[in-house]
Amino acid sequence: MLIDSNAYIGHWPFLRLAHNTPETLLGRMKEFGTDASVISNLNGIFYKNTQHANDELWEAIRSKRIYTDRLIPFAVINPVYGGWRDDLEQCTTRMGMKGVRLYPQYHGYEIATPSCVELVKRCRDKGLPVAFCLRMVDSRTSSWMDLDKEWTLKDIVPIVKAVPDAKYLVVNVANSMALNTEDMDLFRKADLLFDSSGRNITNWADLFKSFGTGKFCFGTHAPILDYFSGLLRIESLRPTEADEKTKAQLRSGNIKKMMGL
Amino acid sequence: MNRRKFVTHTVTSGAGLMLSGILAGAAHKQEPDIYTGNQKQPFMQEVLKYRKIDAHAHADENQYKPEVNLDFADRLGIEKLMISNFIRPFSEGRPDDFRTRNSFTIKCMKDHPGRFIGTVALNPAFRKESLEEIDRCRDAGMTGLGELYNQVKIDDPLYYPIIEKCIDLNWNIMMHSPVGHSRVKLYQSEPKNISLPEDFVSIAKRYPEALFQFAHIGGGIDWEYACKVLKDVPNVFIEVSGSNNAAGMIDFAMKYVGEDRLVFGCDYSFYQGVGQVFSANLTDAQRKKIFFENIAKRLKKAGIHVN
Repeated sequence: MLIDSNAYIGHWPFLRLAHNTPETLLGRMKEFGTDASVISNLNGIFYKNTQHANDELWEAIRSKRIYTDRLIPFAVINPVYGGWRDDLEQCTTRMGMKGVRLYPQYHGYEIATPSCVELVKRCRDKGLPVAFCLRMVDSRTSSWMDLDKEWTLKDIVPIVKAVPDAKYLVVNVANSMALNTEDMDLFRKADLLFDSSGRNITNWADLFKSFGTGKFCFGTHAPILDYFSGLLRIESLRPTEADEKTKAQLRSGNIKKMMGL
Repeated sequence: MNRRKFVTHTVTSGAGLMLSGILAGAAHKQEPDIYTGNQKQPFMQEVLKYRKIDAHAHADENQYKPEVNLDFADRLGIEKLMISNFIRPFSEGRPDDFRTRNSFTIKCMKDHPGRFIGTVALNPAFRKESLEEIDRCRDAGMTGLGELYNQVKIDDPLYYPIIEKCIDLNWNIMMHSPVGHSRVKLYQSEPKNISLPEDFVSIAKRYPEALFQFAHIGGGIDWEYACKVLKDVPNVFIEVSGSNNAAGMIDFAMKYVGEDRLVFGCDYSFYQGVGQVFSANLTDAQRKKIFFENIAKRLKKAGIHVN
């Protein structure tokens, strides 16, 4: 079984995307044999009121049975925007969304700001994962109107420290994963997964040694990154590096466990 | 052109992950599509079936260790890597520097026969020494220039005698491309002599018989900008390496420069280099050209036979 833990529908303002609708995403999934994808709506990064994006995602997914069978929606919530508590409740109850994507860089708040901590605690209490992305697009090639600072893993530390018992998904690990001993210990103990889409997921031997095989899962970051590189990282592991059981964990086991699927 | 399936699905039954009912409020008229999911496709069999030459690789004693290169190459079915030990940005690039670097490349070729194709680093600001270095490196089995960095712009007259010698030798000339151009200002780490796509067009038109390689459109440049500028210069290969494996990059390059001018490379980003070619909308024949045939033809012109 194969589950993509990091995919999207929607638009990016500075780049024309393909395969960014449920139907075209499903086409990619069929081509590569992906059973299910965790998706959120890119538009939620740019709408001031992110709930419009969640409404769009919900409407899109419920329009066909196969979408509800194969697509696992995550809500985009902005915890410094009015009404976010109600947005979270609507998304996770009426709409049945299975996790939350947060974008402090784009929505203009510090990751451990009190309302973000409150949101993450609410998600923890609901058993829902919270996802952060180290970078949405490569800042070198992005528009002059887009962010010019990318995150490293250190930037995630404050929220994991603030709510160590929440579930975290860290995607597109494109930059340094270096942590001090204390923070590494924190991350090892946390219920936390890194997806395989980021360019820093390269040296598996070191990654497994540092974090363990239970901390990684397949992700594409599609339709922003190419669909296959994240999977190739897993499929090209040699038997001496990862046995079939470990590969199965990476393909779907670890994310299924986190999501209770 | 129809999208080619990644691989032929060999399994036609089995239980996929059915999430029906997971989305609250879902109501459907349609019946579920028949879709059985992954069932363990033979991905690596497909990856390894294509012969590959990495047209943009590096080797040195620190950051780009030869053994690491070969480990990735073996893992992903890359037969040969065109390596260079490039002159670092902001360094003067004196002859003793580039000679030492090229000597290391020669050592790598000797240590791993048949795996590395050495390409020559030089600085045209030192004309006599650079021309002599081409002879020395050619005698040692190296071919082509690369990765030329940013000591001198590619269309600077200082390059003319170097390029003319490469024309005589049918050598490929691979040069770095700039980072950050789409943010209006160039990246802070880019020296002022960095070669822009427009500079490649200028020199390619001056020397239409010369064989240029525009490095790493996935390396941090705005790849749409670069492909549009380089659309009408047939003697410039567009090489697709780099860490930014943007979806659609290769498809866009195919549209603008076509299958005969695209070449595969990794620039030490091996997963992205290989992965994005399989993600792109390419036929089997197009993949073969990009992974192997296009660059092999150029190498053959220079007397390097890899078939």
